[in-house]
Amino acid sequence: MIRAAVPTDRSPGARPLHAALAALLLAVAAAMLPYASGIALAAPARGGAANLAMIGEPQTLDPMASTADLVSIIMQHVYEPLYTFDGNWNVAPMLAESLPAISKDGLVYTIPLRKGVKFHDGKEMTSDDVVASLKRWMEMAPRGKAVAKEIKSLEARGPGTVVITLNRPYAPLLAHFALPSGFAVIMAKDSIATPLTQFVGTGPYMFKERKPDQYVQLVRFDGYSARSEPPNGYAGKREALLDELRFVPVPNANTRVEGSLSGQYHFADLLPVESFSRVDGKPNVKAMLTAPFGFPYLVLNTKQGPLANIALRQAVQIALNDADMMAAGFGDPKFFSVEGNHYAKGTPFYSMAGTENYGRGDAKKAAAMVAAAKYDGTPIKILTSQAYEFHYRIALVMAENLKAAGFKVDMQVVDWATLIQRRNEPPLWDIYITHSAVLPEPTLTPPQLGDGAPGWWSSPAKKAALDAFDAETDSAKRGPLWGKVQEVVYTEVPYIRVGSFNSVTARSAKLDGYVVMPYPFFWNTGLSK
Amino acid sequence: MTRYLASRFVGMLIVMAIVATIVFFITRLAPGDPAAIMLGDQATAADIAKLRASYGLDKPLPVQFVYWLGELVQGNLGQSIFLQRPVTQALIERAEPTLFLTLFSIIIATAIGVPCGIIAAVWRGTATDQVFSGFAMLGASIPSFWFGLILMQIFAVGLGWFPVAGYGDPGVPLGERLHHLVLPSIVLGVVNSALILRFTRASMLDVLGDDHIRTARAKGLSEAQVILHHALRNALIPVITVLGLTFALLIGGAIVTETVFGLPGVGNLVVSAVLRRDYPVIQGALLVIAGLYVLINLAIDLLYLAVDPRVKY
Repeated sequence: MIRAAVPTDRSPGARPLHAALAALLLAVAAAMLPYASGIALAAPARGGAANLAMIGEPQTLDPMASTADLVSIIMQHVYEPLYTFDGNWNVAPMLAESLPAISKDGLVYTIPLRKGVKFHDGKEMTSDDVVASLKRWMEMAPRGKAVAKEIKSLEARGPGTVVITLNRPYAPLLAHFALPSGFAVIMAKDSIATPLTQFVGTGPYMFKERKPDQYVQLVRFDGYSARSEPPNGYAGKREALLDELRFVPVPNANTRVEGSLSGQYHFADLLPVESFSRVDGKPNVKAMLTAPFGFPYLVLNTKQGPLANIALRQAVQIALNDADMMAAGFGDPKFFSVEGNHYAKGTPFYSMAGTENYGRGDAKKAAAMVAAAKYDGTPIKILTSQAYEFHYRIALVMAENLKAAGFKVDMQVVDWATLIQRRNEPPLWDIYITHSAVLPEPTLTPPQLGDGAPGWWSSPAKKAALDAFDAETDSAKRGPLWGKVQEVVYTEVPYIRVGSFNSVTARSAKLDGYVVMPYPFFWNTGLSK
Repeated sequence: MTRYLASRFVGMLIVMAIVATIVFFITRLAPGDPAAIMLGDQATAADIAKLRASYGLDKPLPVQFVYWLGELVQGNLGQSIFLQRPVTQALIERAEPTLFLTLFSIIIATAIGVPCGIIAAVWRGTATDQVFSGFAMLGASIPSFWFGLILMQIFAVGLGWFPVAGYGDPGVPLGERLHHLVLPSIVLGVVNSALILRFTRASMLDVLGDDHIRTARAKGLSEAQVILHHALRNALIPVITVLGLTFALLIGGAIVTETVFGLPGVGNLVVSAVLRRDYPVIQGALLVIAGLYVLINLAIDLLYLAVDPRVKY
């Protein structure tokens, strides 16, 4: 997933002597490459401002207050977490000095903090700031609240150490600290308020100005204290090469495409897959594919209505042709994959448990199951929105699959704001469609794996499988334990993961050093002249 | 005249009161919730309820309405939930691109619509008329988002003469900001010129058949004098009406064009506010737009006085 830094383009017509000198230097540098960290050679230029076209206006600039990705993408430049992910999705320290010392019983985490880390107001970060920030996160952010249930105490031990004591061994803790959505960032204690009015973090960029629907402007923080390890994913050394980052809301996807082609935007997020061929191969733009990026999933109402009956949920699963649904949603197979395993082959959580029920599209068998379950003909209310075109197209195919299996279907196409409100009301829906990013730690998403999320899935089998998984800290044993959870998901059908999709983004050929990650970041990237 | 103005003013107040009521209740009756949107996809119901309460959204609708009206009477449009600033300030910030865009579009629409309408009327039934009327049909039926994207591809991406979208980088001078308005103004100008062309043509045809035109020609006046002085002036009233209505529509925000070109104008503000369910902004913006609409209508009526001495109020 890591993309090597691209050497800067140089203007043609450089004088031969210079060219020869440059070639010599390059050869020397290349010879030294095995000994160097790999970043010194093609270090992108310093200076300049980048225009970064985002999918809209951020809901808020408080990274704890919202779980929206857009908020995290912007504010991860301003704030930093204790731990983050490297390019292979391993947890790596960021503001923490190193990985925590964990007691033998797995209950006490002693976290050493880095010394000399400055906030944007010039003050040095201490354990007080960390404790105050994590407390705020545990009160505010949905994931923070879930984690708070696992935590017995959180305290500072001197200015440079934080100690966390858990109620029971809880392996996903550090992944929760690292995930940028509803982000457990460290804020200067004095700046903490709700709503947040000052954005005082430790990141390589400082907040400067927000003009709603025009831009969020960040500028380099000269007092930034970087880590010394080489950059790796979100981990390692961060350097603000660009003077200024401007996150520009461009809600119209075609405008993002045209703006990257014209060179107005140095980066454009989430382009329509149809535009890939238009952007790809142009000399001034690079189209980039993040694979897999996310997965669409159907949430089934386990609390009320016909699908509260587990037999009917199983019939729905057998009725669905996931391949057709993904093809309708994403078109070209280059942009999606159809797999029952929730994690790709080769990753620690790869498992085929339960997948024999995936992608069947077997109307006949489903119809028999529907009849056996004594379905009374109450229409299945499908809640979908056209805010994401693929949600709607997937819903259309799903409705046909369900009708073929003998279900009555009531399609309710609403706008996104309506959907996220109605899904909290059990009587109003039976299935709704949404999607999530593919994340490294299985329990991070979808929220239905936790408690209280729409769908209201709660069962002894769920609790047993997830408790066993959460308590295991040995990563070699966690893989098979995830398989058990996946199997329960396929048996009880609280949600159906339709497949995985890739995302298309574009960057200017001038934007050097960019590394493709799901939450795009722009430290260590520069603009060539 | 004073009496006329007074009665118009009372009428305006009534219209505004009706608009305020309808706007308030329609926005609130639509499903969706600003708190749920702000908190993101995975927020809990309790968090959403807490945030709702902090904005007073948990109170009964009539209570909220009375409170809003009370503020309104004092000239306060309220505080945006999402933007964390007063609605009035948000509107003032968005006024610049919308005002200039409206002005430029109207100039372009008039510059195309009126002369072409006159030519089509004078050469009625000829190939020239056919070409111009055809243009009007085309202009009226082109979707503005498509036309905008085409212009973008040719002039911004292909030729690089104009920026694709937005309203300039932070701190750029006015000239640079206006540069961003050229393509959207052409889109709106061309699309809106069609109606002006049709009205000018129809109105001119009416007038050209009148007795006084025959008299003017009989007096031996030149054709140019007949058309521009005697016919056009009399034909202007319907044209002014259309121009005024177009102006009022555009000032309320050219929603599609502003979205395609990423302009932070009033239309964009309203659309974003609707998608975010930012009630105070939706209500405030619609009320101001309705007020402007009413005022522009009044201005048009007063303009008749200047154009046509026969009109008396």
